[in-house]
Amino acid sequence: MHRRRIAALLGLALVAPLAACASGPEGPPTLTWYINPDNGGQVEIAARCTEEADGAYRITTSLLPRDAASQREQLARRLAAHDSSIDIMSLDPPFIPELAEPGFLAAVPGDIADDVGSGDVVQGAIDSSTWRDELVAVPFWANTQLLWYRKSVVEAAGLDMSAPVTWDQVIDVAQEQDLLLGVQGAKAESLTVWINALVASAGGQIITNPEAPADEVELGLESDAGREAARIIGTIGSEGLGGPGLPTADENASMALFQSDRGSFMVNWPFVWSATNAAADEGAVPADLPDDIGWAIYPRVVEDQDAAPPVGGINLGVGAFSEHVDLAYDAVQCIVSPENQSAYFATNGNPPSSIEAYDDAEVQEAYPMADVIRDSLDQGAPRPQTPYYNEVSSGLQETWHPPSSVNPDTTPARSTELITDVLRGERLL
Amino acid sequence: MGVLSKRQRVWWTVITVLVLLYALFPVASIAATSFKSSAELNSGQMLPSSPTLANYEQILVGSAQELFLSALRNSIGISLISTVIAVVLATLAAYAIARLDFPGKRLILTTALGVSIFPVISIVTPLFNLWRTIGLYDTWPGLIIPYLSLTLPISIWTLAAFFRQIPWELEQAAQVDGATPFQAFRKAIVPLAAPGVFTTALIAFFIAWNDFVYGISLTSTSAARPVPAALAFFTGASQFEEPAGAISAAAVIVTIPVVVLVLLFQRQIVSGLTQGAVKG
Amino acid sequence: MTATSSTRSARRRAPARSARARDEARLGWLLAGPAFVVMLAVTAYPILQAVYESLFNNRLTAPDDRAFVGLKNYGVVLTDPVFWRSLWVTTFIMLVTVLIELVLGFALALVMHRALTRLRGLLRTAILVPYGIITVVSAFAWFYAFDITSGYVNTWFDWVPGVGPDLNWFASQGTSLFVIIASEVWKTTPFISLLLLAGLAQVPGDLEEAARVDGATPWQVFARVIVPNMKAAIMVAVLFRALDAFRIFDNVFIMTNGANGTEVLSLLAYRQSISRLEIGLGSTISVLLFLCVILICFVAIRLFRVDLASARGEK
Repeated sequence: MHRRRIAALLGLALVAPLAACASGPEGPPTLTWYINPDNGGQVEIAARCTEEADGAYRITTSLLPRDAASQREQLARRLAAHDSSIDIMSLDPPFIPELAEPGFLAAVPGDIADDVGSGDVVQGAIDSSTWRDELVAVPFWANTQLLWYRKSVVEAAGLDMSAPVTWDQVIDVAQEQDLLLGVQGAKAESLTVWINALVASAGGQIITNPEAPADEVELGLESDAGREAARIIGTIGSEGLGGPGLPTADENASMALFQSDRGSFMVNWPFVWSATNAAADEGAVPADLPDDIGWAIYPRVVEDQDAAPPVGGINLGVGAFSEHVDLAYDAVQCIVSPENQSAYFATNGNPPSSIEAYDDAEVQEAYPMADVIRDSLDQGAPRPQTPYYNEVSSGLQETWHPPSSVNPDTTPARSTELITDVLRGERLL
Repeated sequence: MGVLSKRQRVWWTVITVLVLLYALFPVASIAATSFKSSAELNSGQMLPSSPTLANYEQILVGSAQELFLSALRNSIGISLISTVIAVVLATLAAYAIARLDFPGKRLILTTALGVSIFPVISIVTPLFNLWRTIGLYDTWPGLIIPYLSLTLPISIWTLAAFFRQIPWELEQAAQVDGATPFQAFRKAIVPLAAPGVFTTALIAFFIAWNDFVYGISLTSTSAARPVPAALAFFTGASQFEEPAGAISAAAVIVTIPVVVLVLLFQRQIVSGLTQGAVKG
Repeated sequence: MTATSSTRSARRRAPARSARARDEARLGWLLAGPAFVVMLAVTAYPILQAVYESLFNNRLTAPDDRAFVGLKNYGVVLTDPVFWRSLWVTTFIMLVTVLIELVLGFALALVMHRALTRLRGLLRTAILVPYGIITVVSAFAWFYAFDITSGYVNTWFDWVPGVGPDLNWFASQGTSLFVIIASEVWKTTPFISLLLLAGLAQVPGDLEEAARVDGATPWQVFARVIVPNMKAAIMVAVLFRALDAFRIFDNVFIMTNGANGTEVLSLLAYRQSISRLEIGLGSTISVLLFLCVILICFVAIRLFRVDLASARGEK
């Protein structure tokens, strides 16, 4: 009797803190939103939605690392541990299948899926939130690369930018005028972005059967599309068109190159527009530089075939082990509202996935290229949707770096071999 | 060697300048970067032409405040706790090694040696997996425990060397003079042992403070992320912009305590490091 | 009579002494035991766990596919050129840094040893700064100085052949390794020089004096008197630094993240287990890395007769 009471007390003492933690009797349940670094926009949206929830829930944010691969690393290893503290996640699209496949993402409720499918969301973002024909995440913002050009350079070359241009034209102009191209050649995710866009623009696919199990995955690099992609990257690399910084050039470095005297063309995300304007205000670049910058849809690989610009952005996933899945989806609905998306674009430079949000006056004012971005998103091709994306992407980076070593005759075969071996568990990365 | 000839004096000046340049230049370099505005980051010059405090503002009161200050809190807390635990355990062990004769003494010292050269990354993978299962992942104890593998061995070595030099007869002398064993220990031994313990603590703290591998592998939120790991999380106005300025500012701030400690205690640190290491 | 009494007393004392010895042993282990157990718990246990995990195919994001594969992972790792390249790069970094640090560390130690008391404090303080600085911070400092977009090294040193605004230090193996090694050397030379300083203090001053009186040149004094007398200190310093350099991670992670053939073993292990979440492969590399360290120790102790315990004063 006595002993049992002690046991009960002990049990209570052990459970009480856990229970207090779980139900939080003092206030509304707290939802933790894992955000990628930005300029404070997501924290602001979290506060706004907490207010709108009026006591139903509270959103706190927790920061993930800067680059996409490390973000995935943090989330995947917590989800693999069935972490219940992950309620909402800002997910970089290519890593979604890896989390969806083992059931780490809570199913998207029907009404939200219907909303997403109702026509207000750009296609690229829907595609990147889908795994095995099911919506597994909710599009939040959608990023895409544009072709940025210096108007003075284009004028001197007599290039008509109102019509689509090809990579070969871009390369020719840079060569003729002895200028440099802003592309991302660093051994990082941005290199995969470039390879994928080139392969897709040439009508190919990096993986032809993305839903296959690891040892059956087939690559489409050993094709005309793969060889064309290798030819373009190899040419820019070996001709020195990306400048000496190419092997380490990330988005930031290619922007710096584009802003310099030898800048001509650049493929990059829209953040460059606000960043260049800010730099011009600060005096870091000539004040009239922004006036010399134009934009167009991503260059084509094949002259008579639409380009497939890179798409990125962030989709929101809800952790399958969260204790408040329903509330988390309520919160997601609030976060992705078109008003929040357009405000986020205007303040943080991240383009909306909602088509409606592009018509916002503030957006049009801050981003005169908003309509081009929207069209580019519609045209864009996601990176391979496979649970083994990390291996595929690292394998590509291993074999396509540095850009000057890329050779259309050997590189596609080498990377096919490496990636297949890695997926079969026969090689290291 | 009391009076230097003129030539010697010139030589020593040159040598001193060279050593100072060697030791402090990279510190000066990152400090200079921390005062650069984003406009000047790519100037190709070491010194900023118009120094700004904007980077410090960003990490101390601005957008990166949460990130940096919580990392700083974690780093200080975790390093201090693991230092204290290591020093307490090591003091007991070193006392036993220095004063008592017992089988296994050598085994303990050899183990300490083995642990101190253990490749950290070899421990990380299994710990990472274990921590996930038992819920220590991303917690303070989850870092404090592995930090002991860094701080404990060196503490044992350093303290054992210190303690071996204490004239323990003083204790008996004090007891003969009528002090109780405890009084004798407190009055005669503690004042002699305290500097050694303190130095050991300082060295152990430096080692814990320096850790990166455990820090990035065993944490995932601001709940336990230490400063070296958090440096990879800073961002500019967008996720694509490189926050060299903010990283440098944070680096300078976490370097200040190190420089202050070194300035105050260089003599003790040197004797601690050298005594623990080589004594014939 | 006296003889018998003394043997009797000895006989009586023997059990007493062994009881005291037992007490002392018990107290000794009582005091040192916790530290010993903790050390074992934080290293021996994980490495055994790693040995066990290395026998499985285990990817954390595919928990259902976990399967026992025996020694297959070892086969995969040991036949992979990536592993051998990392091993070679790691060994190269280790050898070069230790060599440079030994020379530089000796120079610094001599400077500190000979300096007047007035200067000694200043010099030691300066030398301790790199020792205390976080490796990651040092890595960033060197990276920002050499980086082609934000660095100033190319501007400052454009008079050196091969250096100029177009030199991208982090784009090829040789130059990347140069910066990595430079920052490693900068950060860890103080450690080695302090160990050597302690060794210098042990060289009997009268021996040096005698040699000088006999007309030995400074170099002869150094090579014939100083070095042989501090051999133990040198060996300990070298072994410690070598093993420390062998686990290099922070500098490479920050500066190149393994690009351009700068991947070291620690980074390779990290990439498999933490990035790819392939616990089996990662554990395998961890175990192999551990074996490498043991091998280095073994070779050092056998070949160079480094007696660590006696060098540290434990007979």
